[in-house]
Amino acid sequence: MGKIKKLYFPFTRAGIQSALMYSVNMIFFSLSELLYCFVMFYVWKAVFAASGGEDFMGFDMQDMFLYLFMTNVTAYLTMSQADNAIAEEIKDGSISMRLLKPVNFNLSVLFKDIANPIILFVMVFVPMTVCIEIYRGVTAGMVMFQPLNCLFYLLSGAVAYLISFYMNMSFGFLAFYVTNLWGMGILKKILLKFLSGAVIPLAFMPTILKNILSFLPFASLSYTPVMIYMGKYSITEMLLNFGLQIFWLVMMFLLCKLIWKSAIKRLCVQGG
Amino acid sequence: MKKTLKIYRLLLVQNIKTLMEYRIDFLTGALSFIIDQAVGIGFIFIIFSQIPQLAGFTLEQIVFIYGFSLIPKGLDHMFTDNLWSVGYFIVQRGDFDKYLTRPIDPLFHIIAEKFQIDAAGELIMGIALVCLSAGAANVVFTPLSVLLFITAIIFASLIYTAIKIGTAALAFWIKVSGQITQVFYMTNEFAKYPTTIYSNFIRTVITYIVPFAFTGYYPCLYFLTGENPLFNIGGVVAVATVLFLIALFIWKRGLKAYESAGS
Amino acid sequence: MIHVENLRKEFKKTIKEPGLKGSVKGLFHPKSEMIAAVDDISFHVPKGEILGFIGPNGAGKSTVIKMLTGILTPTSGSCTINGKNPTADRKKYVKEIGVVFGQRTQLWWDLPLRETYGVLKEIYEVSDKDFKKKMAFLNEVLELDDFIGSPVRTLSLGQRMRADIAASLLHSPKVLFLDEPTIGLDVVVKNNIRNAIMEINRTEKTTVILTTHDISDIELLCSRIVMVDKGKKVYDGSLDALKSKYGIMRELDFVPEEGDGFSADEFCKGVSLKGEDFKLENQNGKYKVRFNSEKMAVKDMLTYMLSKTDAKDITIRDADIEEIIRRLYKEGVDDIG
Repeated sequence: MGKIKKLYFPFTRAGIQSALMYSVNMIFFSLSELLYCFVMFYVWKAVFAASGGEDFMGFDMQDMFLYLFMTNVTAYLTMSQADNAIAEEIKDGSISMRLLKPVNFNLSVLFKDIANPIILFVMVFVPMTVCIEIYRGVTAGMVMFQPLNCLFYLLSGAVAYLISFYMNMSFGFLAFYVTNLWGMGILKKILLKFLSGAVIPLAFMPTILKNILSFLPFASLSYTPVMIYMGKYSITEMLLNFGLQIFWLVMMFLLCKLIWKSAIKRLCVQGG
Repeated sequence: MKKTLKIYRLLLVQNIKTLMEYRIDFLTGALSFIIDQAVGIGFIFIIFSQIPQLAGFTLEQIVFIYGFSLIPKGLDHMFTDNLWSVGYFIVQRGDFDKYLTRPIDPLFHIIAEKFQIDAAGELIMGIALVCLSAGAANVVFTPLSVLLFITAIIFASLIYTAIKIGTAALAFWIKVSGQITQVFYMTNEFAKYPTTIYSNFIRTVITYIVPFAFTGYYPCLYFLTGENPLFNIGGVVAVATVLFLIALFIWKRGLKAYESAGS
Repeated sequence: MIHVENLRKEFKKTIKEPGLKGSVKGLFHPKSEMIAAVDDISFHVPKGEILGFIGPNGAGKSTVIKMLTGILTPTSGSCTINGKNPTADRKKYVKEIGVVFGQRTQLWWDLPLRETYGVLKEIYEVSDKDFKKKMAFLNEVLELDDFIGSPVRTLSLGQRMRADIAASLLHSPKVLFLDEPTIGLDVVVKNNIRNAIMEINRTEKTTVILTTHDISDIELLCSRIVMVDKGKKVYDGSLDALKSKYGIMRELDFVPEEGDGFSADEFCKGVSLKGEDFKLENQNGKYKVRFNSEKMAVKDMLTYMLSKTDAKDITIRDADIEEIIRRLYKEGVDDIG
């Protein structure tokens, strides 16, 4: 542990430093993502007004509000930037420099990348959650915040981040094979948004689609932690979904290893 | 003017030639935008499976508004995509120098340099939705309304372009302004739905400050109901013109403040 | 042709404190100060001259070039080229100049070179006849034929630089600005480019302003140099004048016989020359003496040295231009222009 700290913390420190330089960008970026939540919030409000009922497929307006904003902030928080970082390094050849360092490749990227969720947690998650809970408290007339759910949420969110990290590392390694990852990156982002239930809650989807999507790793990224936060899961459901997350984490880890093995061979052959 | 058109045509032809080289990129790009909009439409259908109408509009009418809003967005995206690069890196890296050493207008030069075929995804989707929903939404196309439709689309596209020019120009002072453009640009999401669903504050903002309501809901309101053409269509023209002039003003001032990069 | 008067350019510079703490601090209280990148520079260039514009990194060379090419607006002072003010009549003005920045290309990344020239032809409104003639000439001196059909992104650095220079000459500019045109190139390409510059200067009387770190560029091309340091002009005159002033410096290299008890301190004590006139360096047992040959004759220095040690490997050299310039960068110069 002490060795890890000594070897890898400098990466995190450097990551935080460079992320701070872009902190203004980050705030603006979260702002623009937030706009989307507001649009959806009002659309849902109109939907509830039109349906005349309190309940829309098992969600009330309070739930909907929480779901929209929490999904967005969670997706943002657990999203790894590793694919961009790796693709960039592969493109400009600086990946060889990283390989020359006497550290584990994936771990050094992880410890640098982890700076993003750390900063986002402080600068986006905490203020956002406080605002959300205040709004919820005021509209409901009582404290709605569930500390225990929040704790489990953070645990599940941490696993979600790791899944996202290994998933994005695998994606980033594609830069070895594809010349321009930009278009595919957009496609990935858009598909992810849909598959993870960020646009349409999985609960609203046709049953078959819902069942498939809840099993796939994408639901583990934001849907599972948010459902935990909202207290939509019983203890058994929570454990089950948490187990599923761990399963996907292992799978993604192995996938990443596999791609890395074949990619490194290619790197040796091609040279840089 | 003739010279300008000739240069534009030359660059456009070259751009399209390069597209052939990057076929895969083009397909993934256009596909992403089609999927993105299809998901949005899927969402509308799911909602309407539970309710008969939203804010007084039927499914077809909402789809018409949604589809309409994609057309100016797609047009602007197709022809002026390079403006994003100004705010994200052209100014920061000092690459703007190049444009200043050429005897043509730098703004025109930057815009003419890139033709973004990805936008075909939005355009195709938008046109298809408008065509499919127009009948059921009781939109009647007469020569006059077609003319107004085209006018509204052109000036609505200009609103997008103006917002991108104005915010990209901020990079001349602060080096990187892409995120600011992003925030303003994302406001267009509000244009896809009737403004009546929003709070007064938001409605005021998207009507008068970041006037994206004129790129979707307002002009559509005229085509759907025939109401108030002066505000709904005239407003698009007026707002786009004013906004464009402001954007050009900011751009001109920015050029003077440009500091290049490095030593 | 070119008149630069009291040119000055200030930039606002943010000060970043080191470390994580500094980054956090900078986030809330960014500090900044005004820095004069170019401070009161004046010079004149007659038509047809090739002027070498030199100085260490960060001296303000590029900033001056950017003001002369209309990219930056001076904070104060003026530059007039061909009777035009670069920033005021920008569009008209840039038609009369050609600009090459060695560090980055001005060409379209994805376009084949031939198409690039086609577009530039329209932008600069070059007639078909002139264009044909010019392309033939450029082809000949810069040997573009091998790669004129390839997209710019596939060109090697040397090819790209030749392509860039050709692009800047298409419209027969009256003044050509070259910022580091030979940086990172091999000797063959360097020669190729130097020949092209000389050729265009000879046949069309094009005035050339050239910044470079390569001393051979200056020796081969420039009749005159302007040197800047820390934003100020420190030298303006011919290369020969610089050489004759500093050429009186000589360098004596030797290796003392092992075990004859040679002492550098003692050696220095025996010489009456002071300050800039005398310097002794030890490079792994090899000694370098730089001295003013007007104040102490080469013969005397040699005799003195031999009286101190039975040296081997003795060489005597003129201080070359590179040495002079390195010295100027380090020590500054009293104006001798």
